[in-house]
Amino acid sequence: MQKKNTTRIKKVLELLLFLVILIVLWQFFYFLGVDLLGLWKSYSVPSPGGVAISCMNLLQSGVLFSAILKSLGRGIVGFAMAIILGVILGILIHHFPYLNRNLKPVILGMQTLPSICWVPFSILWFGLNNSAILFVVVMGSAFSMSLAVDDAIQNVPPLYIKAAKTMGAGQKELYAKVILPACVPSFIAGLRQGWSFAWRALMSGEVMSSTIGLGQTLIVGRDMADINQVMLVMIVIILVGVVIDKCIFTTIENRVLKKRGLL
Amino acid sequence: MLELKKVGKTYPNTVKRTLKDISLTIEDGEFICIVGPSGCGKTTLLNLVAGLEEPTTGELLLDNAPITGPGADRVVMFQEAALYPWLNVLENVMLGMEFLKVPKEERQRRAMRYLKMVHLYEFAEYPIHQLSGGMRQRVALARALAMDSKLLLMDEPFSALDKQTTNMLRAELEQIWLKNHKTILFVTHSAEEAVYFADRIVVLSENPGQIKEIISCDLKRPRKIDDEEFIHIRHQLLELVRKEVMKFAKEEYDQD
Ligand SMILES: Nc1ncnc2c1ncn2[C@@H]1O[C@H](COP(=O)(O)OP(=O)(O)OP(=O)(O)O)[C@@H](O)[C@H]1O
Ligand SMILES: [Mg+2]
Repeated sequence: MQKKNTTRIKKVLELLLFLVILIVLWQFFYFLGVDLLGLWKSYSVPSPGGVAISCMNLLQSGVLFSAILKSLGRGIVGFAMAIILGVILGILIHHFPYLNRNLKPVILGMQTLPSICWVPFSILWFGLNNSAILFVVVMGSAFSMSLAVDDAIQNVPPLYIKAAKTMGAGQKELYAKVILPACVPSFIAGLRQGWSFAWRALMSGEVMSSTIGLGQTLIVGRDMADINQVMLVMIVIILVGVVIDKCIFTTIENRVLKKRGLL
Repeated sequence: MLELKKVGKTYPNTVKRTLKDISLTIEDGEFICIVGPSGCGKTTLLNLVAGLEEPTTGELLLDNAPITGPGADRVVMFQEAALYPWLNVLENVMLGMEFLKVPKEERQRRAMRYLKMVHLYEFAEYPIHQLSGGMRQRVALARALAMDSKLLLMDEPFSALDKQTTNMLRAELEQIWLKNHKTILFVTHSAEEAVYFADRIVVLSENPGQIKEIISCDLKRPRKIDDEEFIHIRHQLLELVRKEVMKFAKEEYDQD
């Protein structure tokens, strides 16, 4: 256990060091390109210092904090809706051969559609408001969730099902006691992927609307020609997405896999 | 009473007949062992009786009613222990009884009794992945026995066990069978095991799998593996199976 912890700390330190190197390189090229050679204009290239200042400003005014909260809240609500819809759809396309043959390919097609393509519809139907963004989030991740659910059920080892049947399990018990629990690991993997789709879709939606959120903060930065703010928001978007993935999904996934001896 | 009437099986999308014209009547309380070369269709035969596969020709009757699907009256112990990794040992043994609507306390009591019998009492709370292959087989055995079904289908249940454990479990299984008048269909690749248990030994030949011979075996129980008569029947059986394997090997050789 002791050893495991130290290797983990080592890994984190290594990653931090790598990020520091990236920032140093960034600063170096900024210095080279903007200050020394004058290749680029300072308003079109962000600098580490500029981003830091931007960060301070937005933190002080509270804009950054409320944008993160709003976006996260919206992301979670939208993703929850996508999960519900996706699970229902997934079970349907798994259970009915007709839907599996015909609806599944359609869903596969929808899934390849970038979520930003849903923005025009959402604005026409809902206006420039919260519901429009939620619609984009749901459209952006529900299909991937339904395919993940279908896949998870598909990949339950047939032996699990056979064994349950010969022990007299009915259709309901089979789903509740065998198929669902057997699906959990791949379902969680599906959740992770679904979340990344939802988060991206959320940004596409927010960029288009004028409600408070990270996407809107990014656009404000553009409108003020403040490239540092744009860069800052991009970094924050990445960080929030990664933190949710690591803190929630990876933690759950590891726990489940460990319990089943798959890790 | 279990009746197999001219049962044949060809798997979909294959040309080769796996089983052909299997006719067999098994009385209640009989211990039937099935032996034959690997791939001759022993597991397929069990699956047909279990209702997991449908026969291509012929029919299977259990107490005069056709077998239409799987059911808890024909519990199967599969070749690979089909345990659920999200449940611990005790929960695995209890799950089958849960399907049978056995009350919770009774479930727990019975599960513990059978776990004690297979010497896994101390491992009740263990996750499955921390058990060895042999231990998993024993859990599966405990689960199958705890279901207390009249017909028990066992597919090489003792194949991953050491000598001592096998001997111990054989004796236990025999006791349970004698006491509860179960009907057991038992696939094995060990001639010794077949002669130890069987009222009748069904020898299958391969390509297509069919009954080559049925050896009645009425030595008195409990049987001793070093008895003269025991050894005699065992040799007879070994000879039969060996010939079968050789014939097959020769056919393949000739085809080349
Ligand atoms: N689901 C399946 N689809 C197609 N062919 C199958 C299927 N299951 C088994 N077979 C074929 O049927 C034959 C018999 O298989 P089976 O598993 O019944 O053999 P077995 O006697 O149990 O062998 P072993 O002693 O190795 O367990 C094999 O030739 C195999 O290729
Ligand atoms: Mg087999």
